[in-house]
Amino acid sequence: MDILDVAVNVSASTLRLATPLLLVAMAGLLSYQVGLVNIALEGLMLIGAFTAVVMGVEAGSVWLGVILACLVCAIGGAFFALFVTDLRADLIVTGLAMNFLALGGTAYLLQILFGVQGSYTPANFESLPVLNIPGLSDLPILGKVLFRHSPLVYVSWIAIPVTAVFLYHTIPGIHIRAVGENPEAARTVGISVRKMQYLALILAGLLCGLAGAHLAVGDLALFRENMTDGRGFIGLAAVYFAAGRPRMAALACLLFGFFEALQFRMQTTSNIPTQFFQMLPYLMVVVMLVAISVRKEWKKG
Amino acid sequence: MPYLMMQDITKHYPGVAANTDVNFAVEKGEIHALVGENGAGKSTLMKILYGLEQPDSGRIMLDGKPVIIPNTYSAIRMGIGMVHQHFQLIPSLTVGENIALGYESRKGIFVDRTGIATRVRALSEQYGLQVDPNQRVAELSVGIRQRVEILKMLYRNAKLLILDEPSAVLTPQEVDKLFEVIRNLVHQGRTAIFITHKLHEVMAICQRATVLRRGKVMGTLEVVSTNPVEIARMMVGADIDTVQLTTTSRPGIRQLHLEQLVAEDDRGLKVLRNIELSVHSGEIVGLAGVEGNGQHELLEVLVGLRRPKSGQIYICDTLATNLNGRQRREDGLALIPEDRNQEGLSNDLSIWENLAITRYYTAPQSRGNVLRIGHLQQKARELMQRFDVRANSHNTRVGTLSGGNAQKVVIARELAETPRILIAAQPTRGLDIGAARFVHEQLVNLRDQGVGIFLISADLDELLAVCDRLIVLFEGRIAGRLTAAEATRETLGLLMAGRSTENEVTTS
Amino acid sequence: MKEVQQVFRVLITLALALVIGGIIMQVSGKDALNAYSVLLQSALGNERAIADTLLKATPLIFTGLATMIAFKAGIFNVGVEGSLYLGAFAAAWVGFTFTELPALVIISLAFIVAGVVGGLWGAIPGYLKARLKVDEVVSTIMLNYVAISLTEYLVLGPFFVPGMSNAMSQEVALQAQLPRIVSRSQWNPSFFIALAVFFIVMFMMRRMTIGYEVRVLGSNPTFARWAGMPVRRIIVLVMFLSGFIGGLAGAGQVLGVHYRFVAGFSRGLGFDGIVVALLGRNTAVGVLLAALFFGALRSGGATMEMFTRIPRDLIDIVQALIIFFIAIDVGFGWLRRRFAPLTGGSETDLLAEGAGD
Repeated sequence: MDILDVAVNVSASTLRLATPLLLVAMAGLLSYQVGLVNIALEGLMLIGAFTAVVMGVEAGSVWLGVILACLVCAIGGAFFALFVTDLRADLIVTGLAMNFLALGGTAYLLQILFGVQGSYTPANFESLPVLNIPGLSDLPILGKVLFRHSPLVYVSWIAIPVTAVFLYHTIPGIHIRAVGENPEAARTVGISVRKMQYLALILAGLLCGLAGAHLAVGDLALFRENMTDGRGFIGLAAVYFAAGRPRMAALACLLFGFFEALQFRMQTTSNIPTQFFQMLPYLMVVVMLVAISVRKEWKKG
Repeated sequence: MPYLMMQDITKHYPGVAANTDVNFAVEKGEIHALVGENGAGKSTLMKILYGLEQPDSGRIMLDGKPVIIPNTYSAIRMGIGMVHQHFQLIPSLTVGENIALGYESRKGIFVDRTGIATRVRALSEQYGLQVDPNQRVAELSVGIRQRVEILKMLYRNAKLLILDEPSAVLTPQEVDKLFEVIRNLVHQGRTAIFITHKLHEVMAICQRATVLRRGKVMGTLEVVSTNPVEIARMMVGADIDTVQLTTTSRPGIRQLHLEQLVAEDDRGLKVLRNIELSVHSGEIVGLAGVEGNGQHELLEVLVGLRRPKSGQIYICDTLATNLNGRQRREDGLALIPEDRNQEGLSNDLSIWENLAITRYYTAPQSRGNVLRIGHLQQKARELMQRFDVRANSHNTRVGTLSGGNAQKVVIARELAETPRILIAAQPTRGLDIGAARFVHEQLVNLRDQGVGIFLISADLDELLAVCDRLIVLFEGRIAGRLTAAEATRETLGLLMAGRSTENEVTTS
Repeated sequence: MKEVQQVFRVLITLALALVIGGIIMQVSGKDALNAYSVLLQSALGNERAIADTLLKATPLIFTGLATMIAFKAGIFNVGVEGSLYLGAFAAAWVGFTFTELPALVIISLAFIVAGVVGGLWGAIPGYLKARLKVDEVVSTIMLNYVAISLTEYLVLGPFFVPGMSNAMSQEVALQAQLPRIVSRSQWNPSFFIALAVFFIVMFMMRRMTIGYEVRVLGSNPTFARWAGMPVRRIIVLVMFLSGFIGGLAGAGQVLGVHYRFVAGFSRGLGFDGIVVALLGRNTAVGVLLAALFFGALRSGGATMEMFTRIPRDLIDIVQALIIFFIAIDVGFGWLRRRFAPLTGGSETDLLAEGAGD
């Protein structure tokens, strides 16, 4: 096969595979910046995927499914916030509960509602239509890599600068960061820590909804039990790898997407086990955490 | 009518009368010092003014009108601003963002950076507080950060500024600069309350000073017509002398020796400068000083939790600088820590478990890796008897004990096997008279048995009652050394307030 | 009495979760009472049912104890899952490599190697926390995924078995396969190993110096430091022990159930350990009881699905509800403390540097 062809294919699928990671990483970023380790991302994303399919079928419109997925996950984010703020529950334990609930709840509903186990592929239900950007999609090479994707792929690209601008240039964004870094100081100038945590977690939920929706109806049109398969944690890994910086987190997601694309590629073309690439993102985070600590210690002298 | 009047303010915490009928008045346009030792009630009074605490009784008049200040937010809206000793800044935000935080001007949904920067520049011009609004606070020195804090208050249009020991974190040059700024602020119609325990600072920039002691106002003085000695005397008070316990000491061999010790705090600021001192067997050496002058860091260095920058520590002639806490204890060091509840005990555990911690890992307390619980409990009962710890049993949770009994548990543990050198930090804090008396007797008995005792305290009565020699710590330096005979409340108070005998500090 | 109160609280938590689970079933048009009676019947109704309950409880006893040890020391170890995977692989490796060894030797060796491997894996985040103040929650979450992929890589790469279509290792030697005790159930002697570990952990926590150190560290780390305890060493040791028991859990599953390493076999047994430790109120006896409870739910759930057509995923929902209730329970003081420092400094400040330690 032509090398160029391979490169084009791998690049295009990198972008496709990075999409849910980018979206969920932005959700993780909002949580990180408000000072919360959000392990519920995984579960919320799964709920998003489920809602997108089920509501898409019910409403007869895949787009409506996507919107409802965002809505349901935003409510899920608020629910999470209720526990960690008003009920003063432990963050990690609550996150764990959210994930169990998402996993068990979607599998349960799948059987109750549709009588199927494992996976659900509704009849007469189409995925989001591929959006060819007029003019650009016909460009040689670049057209295929960048401009012939499912619509949520483009949304994920927009989500990065929007999240960054929100966090760094709008007042609620700045307040979220203030709360995350020094809640006491934020409180003394009249910023409500509770409100900011709610806001960040609701927005994070919304992004999880988009991420899940892309998995379910972006390229395919089906729901599978545990179809997120740890992507929420990869998103979280990207955030910690980037130490909370949006651009770095996005780059990390692209890199992780690239690993995944490579994995698919190698599965079909070679016998080399690809699990090595699977663990790279997580390993990189641990190395990064160590590097950050070492630098802090070193600065202190 | 004064600009601010706080009338008959009373605030009691469980077991502590932080403020009792405090009357405090500040005129418009003055710099008013609020002085007193730690625990005198300065912070509580200012917290009430800033809306962080509510008084039990009393009222506040601002600009002639009675006001209620339920939270900081409303304090700020009334024009009251406070610069805390621990800055309330967000390091990753810029100077401008920090200054405007919570009061941002907006442009649509965005924060109006240029608008904020213009206002910050205007303010910094007006008051001579040079800052770059676009720089991140994380990159700034402590002195500049304080400037940002002051600007933050001015941005919110604070007319009354509370400055909580603002010079504590600054270099001398930065202090001069700060004073200039404060004078400038007052010239332009603002009012400042200046919390401090450094008398030369009071003399340098304040017009009046209100002295607090044990939650009560001792008086308000015009600075032009008073002197540091008078203020110091008011600060440390003149209570009935406590019983002198000291008999003649017979100092023996050197048990603890610090040689040119230098240490930094967590932020890398020097907090101990060339500390040189020794404690011999059979004497009690007191380290006097207002808290926050390096005592805490010195303790950490002594027990091996903080590595000194330079200098050496000897425990009983063993070089101990590089030994860990356990090794030092094995060499004969014992410690009564400052904070009983955090450093000295585990409130969730039983008395016997708290008593076991210093020696549990060796025979006969354990065999192999198995604790001999029966033995430990037996020993606990003996110690409880010997040190008069009143509790139901050795299984009683320490958290349920009174302060005095809890301190007895600490003392019982540390004195169970007679140490060679005992470091006692604020050992009677929060105890009633009887319990304090018990502690003092224990110290003196121990001294008479030939143990070297290093007593770190902010309580002058205590120091004068039991010490054979006194060393005064001020801003991380030894400010003076006195024998028990030379020491009086006045001389100690002056040294603690920064009047050095070792090398004269100017009062201008 | 404090203990009675604790038990009462746990029972209320369980009752609430089961009632809500029942409501969910009713809303889905099922007969909840019938479902629960079937579940009870099929978890405890006969010899085989009880054997299956004990079978399902076995890994949960291990992982619950592993998590509990760390929790007791105030370390939030989410990484038992990773230790379990590596331990499982190590046990399988011993089992298919040293095939000449007699039964008792190969089984003991497999468990010990599994424990050591799992322990070393757990000690990594322990060391990172003790030495570099790396938050253990994030590092252990990440290392879990590394372990899962790493073991999958091992069976597909260096230990690939030609002709095997799934990601699994060779079968372990026959004499290394733990025998089944009751017919038609996979219940096997690894349950008794779990029980033995339970007694050892109980002894360790109550009578040994390490148990005392864990108590002090977990109740007040500042005190531990000021009293001269080697806090860093204790943290690493505790994480090693936690990982060690996690590794044993993996060995038990391999030698007792699957007879080989199967990639991705655990599906969250390590995470279930967190739930078990929390529900068991962080005490050894509590963990044992909670593990048996979940074992019963799990084994009963499978049969319930067959007879009542109620998906066994309901059990996951009930489990999630239990965790929600635990999360908001005021009884867990130490859980509160963990994230209290949200206001300001980090909790790892407790490990501030000490000279010469």
